[in-house]
Amino acid sequence: MRLALELRRLDVLTPGIGLLRFVFLSAIALLPAARAQAPLADSPSRSVAHGAPLEYLFPEQVTIPAGKPSPVVLHFRIAPGFHINSHKPKDESLIPTALAIPASSGVQLASADYPAGEDYTLPLDPTTRLSVYTGDFSIQTRLVAARGNHLVQASLHYQACDKSACYPPRTIAVPIDVIGN
Amino acid sequence: MKRNTIVLGITLLLLAAFAWAGWANWEYRKQAAEKRLAAVEKAELVADSNAGAGDVPHFVSPLTNHPAPDFTLEDLSGKKVSLASYRGKAVLINFWATWCGPCKIETPWLVELRNQYASKGFEILGLSADDLDLDDKAKLAEEKHEIQKFGQQMHMDYPILINAGTLDKAYDGLDALPTSYYVDRSGKVVAATLGLTSKDDIENNIRKALGE
Repeated sequence: MRLALELRRLDVLTPGIGLLRFVFLSAIALLPAARAQAPLADSPSRSVAHGAPLEYLFPEQVTIPAGKPSPVVLHFRIAPGFHINSHKPKDESLIPTALAIPASSGVQLASADYPAGEDYTLPLDPTTRLSVYTGDFSIQTRLVAARGNHLVQASLHYQACDKSACYPPRTIAVPIDVIGN
Repeated sequence: MKRNTIVLGITLLLLAAFAWAGWANWEYRKQAAEKRLAAVEKAELVADSNAGAGDVPHFVSPLTNHPAPDFTLEDLSGKKVSLASYRGKAVLINFWATWCGPCKIETPWLVELRNQYASKGFEILGLSADDLDLDDKAKLAEEKHEIQKFGQQMHMDYPILINAGTLDKAYDGLDALPTSYYVDRSGKVVAATLGLTSKDDIENNIRKALGE
């Protein structure tokens, strides 16, 4: 209220400042809207799949130079008690964790460096060592984007287990807004 | 001078308001995301990270003490095999997949126990839950070959049936592997396990199915 009164006084003093008042009031009006934006995890593009032990964390948006391979680090989280095969499992029959970007997305995956897996043994078979990821992990990518804004639906294919059972292979969405400029 | 000061003040206020809005929005969204993640973890944890080594998830199948749902699946040669044709025998229906590490651990135990109890009327049906591209002949042949190779490597000399994912509704979801159902001579499920159990547990369930 005091602000409005002050601005009315300004109008009287300086008629030309009406535009400024408009801009300012618009900004004030926009604040609640900005405040009420959907939370990260509720966004429709978010990749949290109910029942999935793996979640894509961030980034949601990156800005990189157009046409030039640029580093982008993608972060993921595995729920406690679960592990997923690394990108290079020790057994050829196990399904490796692998990132993919659709060819038509305007963004190319120039390279992807996966973290080394950690050794893991199942309690009932201490002799067999698996190469897995647990907890938080990240994939270091180099992306090449055409000029413009690209809503990329990348995906991560993985297969999770706990210490006694394995769950069917799954693919989660990795949505990234890539801006090439 | 006074006017400039007022304009400058308002501009700064405007910038501060935008900065605050940005910060508040980011903070709000971050907190909401963390809450959501915590809720997901709490709700979806199947594995018990506090359980002791070797513990398996508690599994109570609604099929226990009920007739095992009948099925007919193809083996790797294309021959149709039905559960009903094993009536009179104790049968272990073992769901597995080539990508399932714990399945690789238990399979040698199954082979051994089958050899031990076959003369008493015991058989194992190994039901592969590997996905198959039924509409793509070349891919299907490749997938069958992988299953066959796995079976040979593991010396699975009992029937291997494919496309077992189609039994998920009848067999309680098949959410995780290995999953085993022990069926007695009358066709009734007498025990069920989800996840890797010990060889002793498997043997006890086989004996139960045999009525010993």
